[in-house]
Amino acid sequence: MKKVVALILSSAMILGLASCGAPKSSSDSTVNQADGSADVTTAVNTSGGSEEVVKIRVAWWGSQTRHDATVKVIEMYEEQNPNVDIEYEFYDFEGYLTKLNTLVASNTVWDVFQLGGNFPTYMNKIVTVDEYIADGTIDVSNASESFLKTTNWNGQQIALASGVNTWGITYDPAIFAAAEAAEPTENWTWEDYKKACLIIHEKLGIYGSSKMDDFVSGATMGVAQEGFGVNFFALSNDKLGFDDPGMLVDYFQMRKDLVDAGAYPDPGAIAEIKDIEGDYLVKGEAAMTFVGSNQMPTMAAAAGRELKLATIPRKKADGPSGATIQSSQMFCISKDSKAPDEAAKFINYFLNDEEANRILNGERGVPIMSNIREMLLVDADEVKRNMYEYVDLVGSFKIGDVNLIDAKGKTEIEDQYKLYMDQVIYEEKTPTEAAQAIYDFAANKFQ
Amino acid sequence: MNKSKSTKRSMRSIINNDITVGYLFAAPFIIGFLGFTIIPMLTSVYYSLTDYNLVIKEQWVGFSNYFRLFSDERFLKSVRVTLIYVFTSVPLKLAFALIVAYLLTRKSNMVSFYRTIYYLPSLIGGSIAVAIVWKELFATKGLINSIIVQLGGTKVSWFGDQKFAMIPLIIMSVWQFGSSMIIFAAGLKEIPATYYEAAKIDGAGKLQSFIKITLPCLSPIILYNLVMQTISAFMAFTQAFVITKGGPNDATNFYALYVYNQAFKYYDMGYASAMSWVMLMVMSVITFIIFKTSNFWVFEEAGS
Amino acid sequence: MGMKWKGRISAICYHGFILIIGLIMIYPILWMLSGSLKNNTEILNGSLNLIPPAWRWENYVTGFRGFGGIGFDVYFKNSFRITIIATAATVISSACVAYSFSRVKYCGRSIWFTAMLCTMMIPSQIILIPQYILYNRLGVVGTIIPLVLPHFFGQAFFIYQMMQFMKGIPRELDEAARIDGCSKYSIFARIVLPLLKPSLITTIIIQFYWKWDDFMGPLIYLNKPQSYPVSIAIKLFADASSTTDYGAMFAMSTLSLVPVFLIFLFLNNYLVDGVSTSGLKG
Repeated sequence: MKKVVALILSSAMILGLASCGAPKSSSDSTVNQADGSADVTTAVNTSGGSEEVVKIRVAWWGSQTRHDATVKVIEMYEEQNPNVDIEYEFYDFEGYLTKLNTLVASNTVWDVFQLGGNFPTYMNKIVTVDEYIADGTIDVSNASESFLKTTNWNGQQIALASGVNTWGITYDPAIFAAAEAAEPTENWTWEDYKKACLIIHEKLGIYGSSKMDDFVSGATMGVAQEGFGVNFFALSNDKLGFDDPGMLVDYFQMRKDLVDAGAYPDPGAIAEIKDIEGDYLVKGEAAMTFVGSNQMPTMAAAAGRELKLATIPRKKADGPSGATIQSSQMFCISKDSKAPDEAAKFINYFLNDEEANRILNGERGVPIMSNIREMLLVDADEVKRNMYEYVDLVGSFKIGDVNLIDAKGKTEIEDQYKLYMDQVIYEEKTPTEAAQAIYDFAANKFQ
Repeated sequence: MNKSKSTKRSMRSIINNDITVGYLFAAPFIIGFLGFTIIPMLTSVYYSLTDYNLVIKEQWVGFSNYFRLFSDERFLKSVRVTLIYVFTSVPLKLAFALIVAYLLTRKSNMVSFYRTIYYLPSLIGGSIAVAIVWKELFATKGLINSIIVQLGGTKVSWFGDQKFAMIPLIIMSVWQFGSSMIIFAAGLKEIPATYYEAAKIDGAGKLQSFIKITLPCLSPIILYNLVMQTISAFMAFTQAFVITKGGPNDATNFYALYVYNQAFKYYDMGYASAMSWVMLMVMSVITFIIFKTSNFWVFEEAGS
Repeated sequence: MGMKWKGRISAICYHGFILIIGLIMIYPILWMLSGSLKNNTEILNGSLNLIPPAWRWENYVTGFRGFGGIGFDVYFKNSFRITIIATAATVISSACVAYSFSRVKYCGRSIWFTAMLCTMMIPSQIILIPQYILYNRLGVVGTIIPLVLPHFFGQAFFIYQMMQFMKGIPRELDEAARIDGCSKYSIFARIVLPLLKPSLITTIIIQFYWKWDDFMGPLIYLNKPQSYPVSIAIKLFADASSTTDYGAMFAMSTLSLVPVFLIFLFLNNYLVDGVSTSGLKG
């Protein structure tokens, strides 16, 4: 026993000394470049080297595909800019958020960091890019107004979207045909949606629809469909943009009716959907589902059969669609950065360089630069093409001033909304009560 | 000459003085506590009295966060849910740990192997992979339901039904009784065989020696496991975070999960801190009660 | 002859019972192991099959590849470094503190003991940010120091556990040694520590796997993907915003289980061995 303890202690000491002795930063990284191409990059970063080496930190969230692709792009950039050393970090979404908040609290946010629709919370930490656009560091000649608008707030360009997407319904035309149900049209309504669900369930015994994003369908988009200029969150994002809780009732009611009829999964069945491949549409147990447009290709691939994209149903035929294109995510420059110019240059490369984007392959969403889109379209397959066309379609809809940005407190309101939806389904609240409750809750948040 | 001898003696008496020894040995904890724990703890108390959302400078709001807690439906529900979880899973866990540890004291070559098997769940319990496995096993089409159907029952929507959602989580916790088990096993090792022999000679049966010898000798360990498991059950987080996300309808919204969401999802750090301190008080009260009642049933051999 | 039979039947019942329950216990783990050799469809649809339809060893290869050019060999190395240092530090420092709290009388002792208990009841999420700010001021963020340093100052769970064990070590032994002229220091080293062996062993086992599985700490304090331990790397497989490669994730989880398992197996024997429990025995 003594020997064991002694062994552990001595090995601990040796390891401890070893880690203290070795230089803390870059020498480790040279060992691990799997493709062997980038020894150039880290060799340059020696303290007090004769060249002026600029260091920037970049971070993002995503999956294995995105990590691999982004790292490659970073290495390419370093090769072309030997005076720049990029330290990067990547995480899954929740890990990223935890780390980001920690860094925000200690004022050490990464120079270039990825943000989604939750960026208003971090406004204090973002360096707007209007100046960089004006002086040409960031080239937006290939980006259209509507795409730039997705990351523009209060007249300032927060950043540029690394991908845009929009919401849609993916459906299986074969199932619709088998049930003799009318396929969705560009103009279809929630009534049509409900009818289709019921028919499909009646005729084929499966779900009419798989998991919808209730908050988007029932609240943010739902309210926006009531009229041009009406929004769930007011454009100023400091109060609600509507004053009639009744606007929320129909969706609660419809969802309950569908679950009761068996045409829509109950909360238990919903909880079992972990990811795209677990979705009932993919498994052939539902006829449609809610998607973000950039998830469409993955879904089609997982399903292995033809799927089509339709718009989110409206409240009134020919009424407002409530749909807009939005930034799925963007790279922002942080106020903590000591090298914001270099950060801007990197972002420009990331968005505009064709080689880089060939590797990135639009995995974050539809690129905003038209030349990049054209380049990717050339090699794109049928499904991808559909997706691009769909995004263009939605982008062409007439919209009033739709609120594209998440208000602060949106997450909590969203969770509360979903809670009330569960309660309506469990019959603990009527749709009217739920509508009133969430309205009060949300209004309260802005007090 | 005399002087050096007496200084030597007084040096030695200082070094060997109980106070010196005590503080010297406790120094690691005290330094660590003062240096790395107390400041963050006090900071979080401060945050609990502010409205702080990480990005903007905090604003003093006094006790309003605390007052808000008592009218927060979701908080009250999460306290109730957590208490149910604690008072169900801990006794079950300890009972299994004790029984299995005891069963495995039988002399046999296989004991080490068995112990490993029963300990395995604890080893990987904290990992995401296991949480996902669990989710699959209790899925509507999963193994558990298949067994139930084969036995003639109807499928249960475990994670969809608010009545049932907690059950798989409790089972998962009890399943990981391994760490308590090896602590009991180590404790059982310490009971001198002579006690059992003496009891046998006196004609005591297995059950009797278990009650009269094993339990009392183990009582300090039982106390330890009880306190530790209770505290760690209160802090249950990962399973709810990965599998149920607190649902459905907040049926598994453990308080640690709610704290995390308030802090990192809703950016209400002040409120989350207040919540933690309230729960700390709840836990302290319960721990205190456990300790006080322990005077009646814990038997310290060191004293005998 | 009858006695022998009785003995045998009871042995068979005993072993049978333990084995069956044991198999039920590890079924989820077997499920994960078999999942590591399946692909996503097989995993999600064929819950009952423990035997993989096609033995997809390539999951291990894909998984090992890791992320962004950094493979699991690096992650394992990092995990070992962090975990071994932390475990060794915990064992020694906790034993010292436990000795002080349970065997030495001095004023203020109960205050420190209560403080120690309190540290366990605060959820880590709340101290996370203030602690981070503290370490940041010290300039050690990005190294493994914030991860291992706390272990040199004792860990409340193990301090308390050792205290309970010490309660089972008769004070007469201390007395006897004191009469013989031993100082408190040598009582600790020569009497208490050796008798604390089972507790030290369980501490090593538990602390090892806690640290091995810990991902919150490394997530916050480590900056470079090259320094990630296995725990973070595995979490990276499960990204809710896109597809998850369950096969690869289970494969790496299985691999990650091996060191922890071996530690337990190895040290477990020390628990079973005839460890002398009473110093009074001559």
